[in-house]
Amino acid sequence: MSAAFLPLAEVNVEAVVIFAIVVGITLAITYWASQRTTSTTQFWAAGRGITGVQNGFAIAGDYMSAASFLGIAGLIFLFGFDGFLYSVGFLVAFLIVLFLLAERMRNAGKFTIADVLSFRLNERPARVAAALGTLVVAAFYLIAQMVGAGVLIQALVGFDFNLAVALTGAFMLIYVVFGGMLATTWVQIVKAGLLMTATIILSIFVLGKIGWNPIDIFNDAKAQSDSPEAYLLPGLRFDNPIDTISLGLGLLLGTAGLPHILMRFFTVPDAKAARKSVGWAVGLIGSFYVMTTFLGFGARALLGEAGTTGEVDEAGNLAAPLLAQNVGGGAGSIGGDAFLAIIAAVAFATILAVVAGLVISASGAVAHDVWSNVIRKGKESEHEEILVGRIAALGIGVIAIVIAIIGGEDLNVSYMVGLAFAVAASANFPALLLALTWRRFNTTGAVTGVLFGVVSSVGLVLVGPDVSDNPVIELTQPAIISVPLGFFGCWLGTMLGRTDTKAEHKFEELYVRSETGLGAEVGEAAPPPREPRRRREPTGASR
Amino acid sequence: MAHDPRGAESASATGGAEHRPDVNWQAAERSSEFQELVHKRRSFVIPALAFVFFWYFGFIALASYAPDFMGESVIEGVTIGYVLALSQFVMTWFLAWLYLRRAERVFDPLAEAAAAKALEPRGPGEAGRPEAGRPRAGNGEVRS
Repeated sequence: MSAAFLPLAEVNVEAVVIFAIVVGITLAITYWASQRTTSTTQFWAAGRGITGVQNGFAIAGDYMSAASFLGIAGLIFLFGFDGFLYSVGFLVAFLIVLFLLAERMRNAGKFTIADVLSFRLNERPARVAAALGTLVVAAFYLIAQMVGAGVLIQALVGFDFNLAVALTGAFMLIYVVFGGMLATTWVQIVKAGLLMTATIILSIFVLGKIGWNPIDIFNDAKAQSDSPEAYLLPGLRFDNPIDTISLGLGLLLGTAGLPHILMRFFTVPDAKAARKSVGWAVGLIGSFYVMTTFLGFGARALLGEAGTTGEVDEAGNLAAPLLAQNVGGGAGSIGGDAFLAIIAAVAFATILAVVAGLVISASGAVAHDVWSNVIRKGKESEHEEILVGRIAALGIGVIAIVIAIIGGEDLNVSYMVGLAFAVAASANFPALLLALTWRRFNTTGAVTGVLFGVVSSVGLVLVGPDVSDNPVIELTQPAIISVPLGFFGCWLGTMLGRTDTKAEHKFEELYVRSETGLGAEVGEAAPPPREPRRRREPTGASR
Repeated sequence: MAHDPRGAESASATGGAEHRPDVNWQAAERSSEFQELVHKRRSFVIPALAFVFFWYFGFIALASYAPDFMGESVIEGVTIGYVLALSQFVMTWFLAWLYLRRAERVFDPLAEAAAAKALEPRGPGEAGRPEAGRPRAGNGEVRS
């Protein structure tokens, strides 16, 4: 049996059983998908056969990381109102995606962000720049998720941190390497369903326990807080207003530069489906973040001082699982342990879906952008690109596992995710937006823009108070400086550089194509094969 | 054809998105259908984004600089800050719904007309009448 209190001293058997069921389902999906992954369009874009509704769930599954589920619940638990700021920023950001990028990306692109830039710019430098932006974002995000996975599984299931990281990495790699985007998509859809269901049930339990009056949550939470006067007011976490505004900017624009989210728009048949999928994602993600009220404030109201006595860890990540244990009947009860195990398994599925999305976007940058179109200049076969994609995924996954294990559980997860958003907002978003809308924009502009964005956002964090002992600048969130610098870099490069008339295509084609869909890439002839395709005839002469 | 992704040679399956040299893109951009599409989309997106920035950063600025105001009670326990935070959710849902509706009713028909115009072989053609123009004004129903 599991121990009475977290962190568990021994392995939680219920949790392991539920983990095994979740993993079994995802492996079955992967096997099914692997039978259908024979072309590059299938490997990178699931044959463009994902429907708008499915993609809406997949975006939700791709986006809501453990940082959302456990992290925000924990932040609200610890800091009250300030934690809820994250929920707001993470959601409003989708309006930027919907208004500016979703349909245009689908119309203009193929598999990766770089495909959009290189459509009008000088192919090789544009691809290298875009791949750099993608890889930096994916690296920070991925390592943060892996460390988070290790810490959580260690606490919830009782596995050792290193084993937990290695297991997470192994499953993530199985999905991507064998099942490509199709498996990744369905793992994300299943995860979104599990996460929404678990959160709804947990919210109802919390509400029931509090007496069915939602307003009491705030009063009870306030009463249980160690700083009751400040708990429902802003300012417990952020005391520097510029930091708060900077964080808000990074969250708002960062989502529109996240490669694993943007890549999802290539998996649907057309721009209408891309747009519709954002509608579904906004509905799902918004409902989820509203419910973080019940998870976060509810945890404070019901667990009360447990947080300050060390039962909930310092980052607050265990607030939601402990809340589940509490409303299920408390520690040691059958209901409490079962509910805790279920929430632990959902958290695990949550992490798996996100890291799989990150790995496939990063391997797309390596295999499709750098290998196929920069090194081999499009001379290799489809088979080779898929093979290189699988090898790249493996390499990226192994590096992430190793860094997560070396960095260990003390690696500060929240600043790495914040950094990923800041880089995405400062490097990827300006270059993409300007490539799609600014006639004069050129290759030099794209390259300097991405470099300015990456260097300034990473640099500001390195010299800031989170990392440096002698901070040069009292700013933990770089976006307020690095986003304008990213746009400035795009402008400066464009002014200094010259349009390369031989290598750059005219803006009009990208412009008309992105707005109307004329010439947009179509899916496979038959989205999932109608008849199982024989790859190898045993009696055939050669194939 | 080179732009047909199916059955195309391996280079196009692994290369970037295919160009369509057979279309006169300059003319397509100048067509009145395309100009109308761009204009209609902009006249929705720019004011909508301006409002999003105003409401979102207004909220964050109030949270940063006026914590006491944000902490005032609307109903016992529910603060102004929380109500304003919820208003961000409502805004996101409402604007997304509004955009999706407008895209379906106005932008899609215009985009189709602009694409059809671009593919016309030659000549002025019989004015691709955009059935988009019908002004179905939003009547402010809120979905939440």
